[in-house]
Amino acid sequence: MNIVLVGNANVGKSVIFNALTKSYVTVSNYPGTTVDVSKGIAKLGPQNFTVYDTPGVNSLIVHSEDEKVTRDILSTSDIACVVQVADSKNLKRSLVLTLELIEFGLPLVLNLNMSDEAKERGISIDIKKLSEKLGIDIIETVAVTGEGVSKLKEAILKVKTAHPVNATLSPALDRIVSLKKKNKIIEELVKDVLRISKPKAKSASEFIGSLTVSPVTGIPILIAVLFVMYLFVGRLAAVWGVDFFENTIFGAYVNPFLDSFIDKFIPIPIIKEFLMGEYGIVSMAVTYAFAIIFPIVTAFFLFFGILEDSGYLPRLSVLSDRVFRVIGLNGRAILPMVLGLGCGTMATLTSRILETKKERILVSIILTLAIPCSAQLGVIMAMLSNFSLKAFLLWFSIILFVIVVIGFLASKLVPGKRSPFIQELPPMRFPQITNIIVKTGARLKWYLKEAVPLFILGTFILFMFDKIGLLRWIERILSPFIVTWLHLPKETTAAFIVGFLRRDYGAAGLYALARAGALDKIQIFVSLIVITLFVPCIAQFLVTVKERGAKVALMISGFVFLFAFLFGGLLDHLLRYLILTKGFAVL
Amino acid sequence: MDHNQKIEEALTIIWEEREKKIADKGAIAKRFLESINEDVSQNLLSEGFVLIEKDIIKFSDKGESKARDIIRRQRLAERLLMDVLEVGRKEVDSSACALEHILSKEVEESICSLLGHPKECPHGLSIPSGACCEKAKGLIESIVIPLTRLKVSETGKIVYVLTREHPQLHRLMSFGIVPGARIKLHQTRPSVIIQVEETQVALEEEIAKEIYVKRLS
Repeated sequence: MNIVLVGNANVGKSVIFNALTKSYVTVSNYPGTTVDVSKGIAKLGPQNFTVYDTPGVNSLIVHSEDEKVTRDILSTSDIACVVQVADSKNLKRSLVLTLELIEFGLPLVLNLNMSDEAKERGISIDIKKLSEKLGIDIIETVAVTGEGVSKLKEAILKVKTAHPVNATLSPALDRIVSLKKKNKIIEELVKDVLRISKPKAKSASEFIGSLTVSPVTGIPILIAVLFVMYLFVGRLAAVWGVDFFENTIFGAYVNPFLDSFIDKFIPIPIIKEFLMGEYGIVSMAVTYAFAIIFPIVTAFFLFFGILEDSGYLPRLSVLSDRVFRVIGLNGRAILPMVLGLGCGTMATLTSRILETKKERILVSIILTLAIPCSAQLGVIMAMLSNFSLKAFLLWFSIILFVIVVIGFLASKLVPGKRSPFIQELPPMRFPQITNIIVKTGARLKWYLKEAVPLFILGTFILFMFDKIGLLRWIERILSPFIVTWLHLPKETTAAFIVGFLRRDYGAAGLYALARAGALDKIQIFVSLIVITLFVPCIAQFLVTVKERGAKVALMISGFVFLFAFLFGGLLDHLLRYLILTKGFAVL
Repeated sequence: MDHNQKIEEALTIIWEEREKKIADKGAIAKRFLESINEDVSQNLLSEGFVLIEKDIIKFSDKGESKARDIIRRQRLAERLLMDVLEVGRKEVDSSACALEHILSKEVEESICSLLGHPKECPHGLSIPSGACCEKAKGLIESIVIPLTRLKVSETGKIVYVLTREHPQLHRLMSFGIVPGARIKLHQTRPSVIIQVEETQVALEEEIAKEIYVKRLS
């Protein structure tokens, strides 16, 4: 038997899902966190139920992918109970969906979530009366604290199917007409149910929210947020954290211990080299994954989680809308882009929140080309931390320049049109520490599960290539590109090879070379730009194939590959000219 | 078509031809034959609606004011059908013709106020102003205005939402942006931010301009 959670965007369906199933799906404070259906098991009383968490919808009338996904699930048989999760603050809006669910003839429980926020705003709802009018059970919850969840579970077990409120309302009716009619019915429903005591003073969260979207205060706030992120991820984690893990944990304890352990118990040179050599599983893959990248992504995920839960991210769309219009998108595109800083694979999925095919293709191009993921970004920040802040800003400006120029050109080439900017802004909230920790933990687990095997695979490939002499052969073949065109040492070839598996692994390879003193400043900078623009990791490529089709994904990757090398070379020549000939202190 | 309607139609034709700078008697008689199958020039003259000098046909004062009324009603009806009821262009042309004959003076004025005293019909031709428009000028702004003309932190009640595309209208409606809802303007730049009930929505200006409101506060 199935339980299906449905509701408007950003009402807390995923929090309810986590509470019912004791499993974890990502929870954030912006519409569109859930883009795919999640499945979990809930044990209620003696029975086991399969629980489905669905993307937010405003209506069951299909005109977007999310609505189709949700409707398809509701159309399957074997539904024990539909739980509509609703925002208590927005009762009228929620009832539009409630009426549709009732028309569908489904067993329904209405869950008025975030009832604490409604009370704060002076909104009171007569639950008993509304429940009688609708003919279904209504349960109030504050899901983030668990309040009301046990009552919700009880209600699910004795769920009722309501009779349609108005028999003349059929889904076949023209959607506009039926919406107008519904609004009338809803006014009637809430008449003696909903009471709003006014006027209320502007709350602190509202005030902060308005500061973040006004251009005068919003832009300084954005710069401050970016700067704090640079300090936290780029300085604290990438310098101090990496140093601690690499030199203290691995350098002083793990590696010497393993060295002596292997010397003592497995004194076979090839095995020792396989584990601890130049391309060794432990000395390279495990060290990179745990010592270099792990502290950086931990810091990033923590910071990012706080941003997500505060409700700040969708507000960025207000500030960026006009910029995105230049590249054929609207402000909503900021969400997949910012999420891309977390993980390009997830972000490619999130591009579903954009309406037109053109917009989705444009975002996929930019995500593939120029948005570094958290692990890569952290390594880049760490490498640039030996430079001045100026170098970081230069890197940032160059990447931004590439996004705008390529975005502009692509928007002229890709057929189709841009959709108008309409974005709901969730309230600003103080992030919950427990959710941040749980979310960061879940993401780290996912990172380890996805990255470490690929790191090991990449190292294994390098080890084999090195042993059979193929690596030297590839280095020689690519030498005109890497050595002559990009002015990089041939050792960086290995970093670019593993970069095909994961960009952060490639970046970590460059980082190790830089720390060993094998790269000068211009080389570090140029290689960073190339690895930032370089092909997406395998996982992101596969998701792009799934979402955009193989043809588009291959075209994008091919272009990105060529562009990264071409642009890197041009940049190298320009920097060399400016720094070595003209004596400008650019870096 | 009764005699009265024929006269009204004929006056409309003369008005429209005048907008194209045509007043030639022969050309107008030809247009009469096309649309009402009858050359009513002599009837117009005998009823005192027009003056004929040589080959030129001109409105008398009486004819001018009657024609002005008809044209005004017709073009207001077109705006109403097009903007509020979202009837297609082709149907607008045929229905507006029928509507103009039955609209009373009062209905005409309330339509004009509802639409915010528009200056042009959907075809881009000017709508003659009525008494209500003159009165509204004194009030500086009309009653129904695009959302973007509210001042920041003012509240308005939505009268209608003009939009060319169904999905957009549907999206706005699902946020609670429906006629009758109270809407508060939070900011206009860089994007318009409004609040309906407890939902805050950011919109681009082009969409916000299509939401027409009545100022409340």
